[in-house]
Amino acid sequence: MSNLRAYFVKLTLAGVIFGESVAAANAAPVTLNFWDMQWGVSEYAVAAQKLVDRYNQEHPNVHVVYRSVPWANWFSTFTTAVASGSAPDISTGAGFQAVYFFSQDAVVPVDDVVKEIGEDAFVPGALEACRYQGHYVGLPWAVDIRLFLYRKDILEAKGQKVPTTWDEFRAVCKAVSGNGVYGYVSSGDSSGVHTLFVTAINNGGGLFTKDGKPALTSDRTMEALHFLADLAKDGSVNPASVGYQNFDAVASFFQGKAAFLIEGSNLPAQAPADVREKIGILPPMKSPHGDIGTNEWINNIMVYKQTTHPKETFAFLKWWAENEKPLWTEGNFASFPARKAILQDAYFQNNPNYKYAIEVFAPIAKTIAAQKGGTFPELNEVDGDAAFSTLIQQLWQGKPLSQIVPPAQARLEEIMSH
Amino acid sequence: MKGFGTTVFAKPGFTTAVILLSPSLLLVAAVIAYPMALGLKYSLSSGSLLRPGGFIGLANYIKLLQSPGFYNSLQFSVGFAIANIAGCYTLGLGIALLMQKGVPGQGVFRVLFLLPWIVPSLVAVVSWRWLVGDEAAFVNRIIKAFGGSPIFFLSTSGWAVLIVILIKIWRSFPFMMLSLLASLQSIDRTLYEAAAIDGATPRQMFRYVTLPQIRNISIVLCLMMMIWSVNDFDTPWLLAKGGPANATQNLVILAYRYTFDRNDVGMGAATSFVTLFGLMVLVFFLLRLQRRK
Repeated sequence: MSNLRAYFVKLTLAGVIFGESVAAANAAPVTLNFWDMQWGVSEYAVAAQKLVDRYNQEHPNVHVVYRSVPWANWFSTFTTAVASGSAPDISTGAGFQAVYFFSQDAVVPVDDVVKEIGEDAFVPGALEACRYQGHYVGLPWAVDIRLFLYRKDILEAKGQKVPTTWDEFRAVCKAVSGNGVYGYVSSGDSSGVHTLFVTAINNGGGLFTKDGKPALTSDRTMEALHFLADLAKDGSVNPASVGYQNFDAVASFFQGKAAFLIEGSNLPAQAPADVREKIGILPPMKSPHGDIGTNEWINNIMVYKQTTHPKETFAFLKWWAENEKPLWTEGNFASFPARKAILQDAYFQNNPNYKYAIEVFAPIAKTIAAQKGGTFPELNEVDGDAAFSTLIQQLWQGKPLSQIVPPAQARLEEIMSH
Repeated sequence: MKGFGTTVFAKPGFTTAVILLSPSLLLVAAVIAYPMALGLKYSLSSGSLLRPGGFIGLANYIKLLQSPGFYNSLQFSVGFAIANIAGCYTLGLGIALLMQKGVPGQGVFRVLFLLPWIVPSLVAVVSWRWLVGDEAAFVNRIIKAFGGSPIFFLSTSGWAVLIVILIKIWRSFPFMMLSLLASLQSIDRTLYEAAAIDGATPRQMFRYVTLPQIRNISIVLCLMMMIWSVNDFDTPWLLAKGGPANATQNLVILAYRYTFDRNDVGMGAATSFVTLFGLMVLVFFLLRLQRRK
């Protein structure tokens, strides 16, 4: 009898322990890993972490872990994570990372989230840049427009007017160059390649024809390259640009050693206080054919196939898209939001640089998919490929275009032939 | 007649030796043999890190050997290694000889000379970037102070190559100096006394006593320096990202670019194996040279 009683006691205890374990397992929050790129200034990561903390507070069953990922070696960071099975649940990333990862079966479409938010909620062109094979491969959240910024003080000191055409730009650059000051400063890294993208698109050209063929040697793009080569030949481009990284070029511009620089519209807000008012945005310049245009990057958020909590991840994505305003208002992020509703906020409407970029440049901006449009996986390889950094370095070195363009065109053809 | 295997297995203590060696053998297999075998497999395959492809034989090697970028990187790697070995050896031996003579403040100098070797590569190379980065950099200020025109060290291919070599020599010579100093101090003094009695001049003593005595350590040091130079990623990458216009892109940077920029693991692995093969051939000949009396 006592044996039977002992058996029942043990059974009851086992039941209690099992029940407690199940309850504990059910109560444990789901952990989501969110990898966010280091989007410019240091305040950004602080604001993003704060936003994640708010989400965690409002959703006790989910715990989002925020990780700020540096841009250095970003591609190897993500590819090795995916290849080793340790990808995040959700991440921001480079402009064409989502479409590339989608082609490699590493991310899943976010069609349902787009549907819930509504296609009309996004600025024109943002969704198109994330649509591939009938799916939205990432959720657009920021539009990064590249434009020419200029130093008002340098132009005033030399009695120069703000240029409105390429010819005027070349003349102004030449006029202000001298005594350690240059007309234009760039870099030899992937940011320096933006100079090529901006001017090619400005001239109605680009890397691709309308039917998607490599077009670095097309007439319009070659004209843009000749324009840049002429600037270098004039001595208007800081020769150090070849070895500069983007932050060197920005520092040189802030120090008043260059009159023009290509960067994001909100760069003045990141400048030292005494420099801020001296920086202006150059109105869209007309190319020799009368075209205007510039280059833009549609930054997006993607959801990884490796996530074991897709439901919670999509819920977080939707929440993030609806509550991300502090990334700008507190995080001082330089690009502007892809969501129309956030753009209506006084923060953007009262900021002349944002307002100007949104109203004047957004309608004429194109991604590096120009002139084809849309998005495709090969763009990820094009964006940041060393062949284009080499091309821009050789361009600033003054090497002849006939020597430096064919290898870059061959590389572009190789990428597109994959 | 007993076979070789039978003889070895029958040797006393064979089992004990196997048991004692097995942890090391397993470790070597796990951290060297397995990754190398995997790398070799990748070099014979197509595909990316995310989506491995199938076996393509020697296609990656053929493509690599037909690529102008490979020869550009090979040329830089060879030049970089030769210049670094020559520079480090000359500087290291010169300073070691001075130290051996017993210059005043020898202890302080020894610490100062070791500093470039101790400083982390990132700090060292980034500091050099500040020194030569543009026309307002420290070196250009000095050039301008003497009436010269600024030099864009990192924008001109030739200058960038020279700066990368100089920085590498600056970072590496302390190791050479320290090792050669130790070797010089171990030479039997009676050899110099005998040479002096025979009427040898200091130059003859250096040629016929010092150099033969440090021959073996010199070969080993040059061998190590060659391997470190060819495999150096930090210096050319942190200083110029392999630029300008690929002027400082060595084989390691090329392999990195294939693997991570282009996501072409096969080509990256093939580049690494070609580099490894080249190094192994050089190591073989240098070790044979060392054995020759």
